[in-house]
Parts: sequence; structure tokens; C-alpha cells
Amino acid sequence: MSDNSVNILDIKNIEVMYDNVILALHDVSLKVPKGKVVALLGANGAGKSTTLKAVSTMLASERGKVTKGSIDYDGNSIEKQNPSQMVGLGMVQVLEGRRCFGHLTVEENIISGAYSRKLSKGDIAQELEKIYTYFLRLKERRKSQAAFTSGGEQQMIAVARAMMAKPKMLLLDEPTMGLAPQLVAEIFNIVKELNQKEGVSILLAEQNTNIALKNSDYGYIIETGKVMLEGTAQSLLNNDKVKELYLGISKKGRKNFRDVLKEENLNKKSN
Amino acid sequence: MANELLFFMEVLVGGLLAGTMYSLVALGFVLIFKASATFNFSQGAMVFFSVLAFCGFMQDFNIPFVLAFILAAFLMVVVGLCTERLVLRPLMNASEDTVLMATIGLGYVLEGLAQAAWGVEVRRLDLGIGDFPVPWIADNLKLFISALDITAGLVAAIMIIGLFLLFKYTKIGLGLRAVADDAGAASSIGIPLKHIMLLVWSAAGIVALVAGMMWGARAGVQFALVDLALKALPVLIIGGFSSIPGAIIGGLIIGAVEKILEVYIGPFFGGAIEGWAPYVLAIFFLLYRPEGLFGEKIIRRV
Repeated sequence: MSDNSVNILDIKNIEVMYDNVILALHDVSLKVPKGKVVALLGANGAGKSTTLKAVSTMLASERGKVTKGSIDYDGNSIEKQNPSQMVGLGMVQVLEGRRCFGHLTVEENIISGAYSRKLSKGDIAQELEKIYTYFLRLKERRKSQAAFTSGGEQQMIAVARAMMAKPKMLLLDEPTMGLAPQLVAEIFNIVKELNQKEGVSILLAEQNTNIALKNSDYGYIIETGKVMLEGTAQSLLNNDKVKELYLGISKKGRKNFRDVLKEENLNKKSN
Repeated sequence: MANELLFFMEVLVGGLLAGTMYSLVALGFVLIFKASATFNFSQGAMVFFSVLAFCGFMQDFNIPFVLAFILAAFLMVVVGLCTERLVLRPLMNASEDTVLMATIGLGYVLEGLAQAAWGVEVRRLDLGIGDFPVPWIADNLKLFISALDITAGLVAAIMIIGLFLLFKYTKIGLGLRAVADDAGAASSIGIPLKHIMLLVWSAAGIVALVAGMMWGARAGVQFALVDLALKALPVLIIGGFSSIPGAIIGGLIIGAVEKILEVYIGPFFGGAIEGWAPYVLAIFFLLYRPEGLFGEKIIRRV
């Protein structure tokens, strides 16, 4: 079997620019194996969202462009695609900040996710029921206006809406941002369940390093548009530098990988 | 005394009925505003273009009424298609101001095309509905209300209900409402913006055609229709740019207020104040309630 059939997503050395001048990603390579959950970790502005948007081809609408490198999804280059074609191919992005349709009801929000599929009313009802088994809370609130639901519920709406498109792969951009710890756990449980029962591959951008790694198979850490470290989720959780820089178990005043590299270089020179 | 009240009622009802047409045209603006956050300055030109084409089909080619209407409506869908393909798509990532300027340009193109194709003279449009009081209402309610006004009111009401049903219960309507709320999120789940744009521009075109027919029947099909359609601007300022109920109620308010002012205050200004009175009302709204009656309050962090 070729490499492509193992990895649903294969990003090779991409560089991304906004407005032809602002370099957002320098060199990012990552792979998502079929049926796995991969975490993309990093601070604000590290390039997590940009990476996800490069994959979903939503960069174009923000005047961004992949200027170097390649992105293959399911064995094919995504270069010539647009967002609605990507959805048709089974790749759906859940944008940062939930982005529910506030004036629509919860149920209308979820149904809107099936827009790209040609389904009859009966099929939609069936799909809805299936989705509700994962999002029990939403079923109770199906008739409320989305704008009046809580942050956690809105995040569930956003994920449920994406699932209605029957994705092979989900791109989740900070699904736990601003949520209480209990809700964070609930969201991750749902994500895990969708991954296991529906076989959806997931690329997850998160700042919440600890819980993201605990729910992933593999992780990448990016800083200022570069991959600094990668490894299995377990190895990253046990990595001293990750513990120090991202899990807040710190002894020294170092803040990021660049500081660590600087120190190591200094040490080498003095030796 | 009773006579004065009856007269007031007559003015009010006439104004409200005329206002439904403003509502309808304002609805065309709201659709486009919701889908693309742009005020469509070519709406007036679309009214002129569509109804002139309709007259042309009927009078120059002797095409029967219904067929001419269908052809003109189809023509407006084609205009919508061309607008999406030639103007909006290339400007997809441009700022809203750029798109706004493009709609002004589009307006001139439509005006020019219409006159090049059908000539510049004022055409008479006879819909077979007289602009005189309906005898039954005049006899029984003692109100003198024009049959044309009543027809316009009914047609506008039917179209508004039709649009409402389209948005509420169809798939493409759901897509439109999703795009209106958050175009980015809509495209992230695969709702193709170009379909939605085509829908709103076609709908706005057909709305323009109907409004143009009603106005044209009263005042003749002429270039002045372009400015008449801009009456939708004060309607939107009062109702709120992003609100469909706002457009409807705003239209009724403008229709009623301009007639009442014309009749009761107009004489002090030498008459003919309905042309500008709505804009004065709009200025008061801009000063004291800029988001309109139903618009979303715009909160911007600085």
C-alpha cells in the first residue's frame, strides 16, 4: 500500500503569506493518519488557525495563499479546490469561535450542515436523529435560537453542524476556547466518540495542551509558523520541555522553544 | 367632522397601500444587503431596466402580457447571473466599499443598456387596472381608494409572503439565512456563496420588475423610476438595513407619512413635498436612532 492510503492528510513544508507580504507560516509539515486524532498545539499567533485554513482552502477568503510546499488530502492535491468542494470531498472545518448562525434555531443550524449533500426530508430527519445521539443536550434545545444558547452548546452546534456534512475528516479550531473545564471534558468526549464510532480523522488545533494530548494519538507543537516538536501524544506528555513550556510545570523562566534553543546553543559554545 | 375623519382614513389607507411597494423594493435591498453586506445602488436601475424590457416585449414585439412578464423575469435572472459572474465573483475578497462602488457602476450600465435597447421616450403601461376609486368601497365604506393602489398592496403582500415562505421552508432559503448570519461559517460547511448571490440578485430583480410595473402603470415607464426606487433608502434607514420586517414596516411608514404630510402640511410649502419629506424623516432617524427600528445595534470596539 502506498503512503497516501495511510495518511488522509499530508502537509509538506508549506509556507503561507497573507496579502503577499505577511509571512504567517514558515515551514509546516504534518501528517494525519486515517482514523486518528492529531493535535496541533501552540500559543496565540503560532499559526494553528492558518494551517487549518490552508487545509480547508479557506485562506483565499482572507487573502492568504500557500506560497510553497504541498497539501495532499486523501491522495490528491487540494491546490485547485475551494471550500465547498473540500466539504464535498469530506473535509469540514469547524472554525474558531463557534460561528453559529445566531438567528437560526439549533436544529436549522445543524440541518444547514447537510447543504452540500443531496438528501430527502426523510434522510435528513434520520441523520439528525443519529447526530442527536452524540449531542443529547442539543436535542432538548432544538427549537431555541442559536444565539441564545450557551457557549458550550454553541460549540456543540458547530461540531454537530459539521458532522451533518458526513465528513471523513474534521478540522477543529480551538473547540474548547473559553469553556468551563467540565464542558471542555464533555466536548472532548464527544470528539473522541465521533472519532471512534464514525471513523472520522481529526486534526485539532488547541491551546489547552494537556487535555488535547490526552485525547490525541499524535501531536505537533508549532511556534511562529514552524513545527518545533512532534511525537506521539504520550511521548509529548512526558517530554520535559513540553511539561515546562506548555503544561506549566516550570522551573526556569523560559517561555518557548526558541529560548530553549538559544540556551542550548550558548551551552554548546561555552563547552 | 365625520367627513374629515373619512378623508384622513382615505389618505392613510392610500399611503399604506402605496407604501407596500416601497416595502417590496426595500426588501430587494435588504436581501442583497444581508447576503453581501452591500447597499445595492443599482436597484433603481434594475426597476427601470426590467419594466422597460417588459414594455418593450409587449409593445414592440406584441408578446402577450403573461409571456412578457415571464420573459422579463427571466431576463432579470440572467442579469443576476451576469452580475454574480462578472461583478461580484471577481470582487469576492474586495472590501465592501469596492462592491458598493461596483453597484453604482452596474446601475449606469443597466440604465444605458435599457435605453439603448428600447429607446428613451416615456412609455405608457396599461395593466388593465384603472387608477380610480373602487365603486364598491366608495359606496359601502365611503372611502375613495384607487384600484391600482389596492392591486399594488395585494401584489406586494403576496410577494412578501412568498419570499417569507421561500426563506423559511426551502433549502436554498436556509442557505441564504445562514449566509446572512455568517458568510464565512456558511462557506466552511459547504454552502456555495455563488448560488446564494444568484438567488438574492434574481429575487431582487423580480421584485424590481413588479414594483416597476405598478409605478409605471401610474406615472409612465420612464427614467424617473430610478429615483423613485431610491425611496427605499429612507425606508431602510427607518426600518433597519438588515431586517426584513423592518423593510416592510418602514415602507408602510414612509408611504403613510408622505401622503399625510403631503395633504396636511404640503400646502404650506407649496405642495409636492412627498418627494423629499421621507428623506427629512430619515435624517431624524439617523440623528436619534441610526440603527433603525428593527436593525441590529452596531457595537464596535475602538
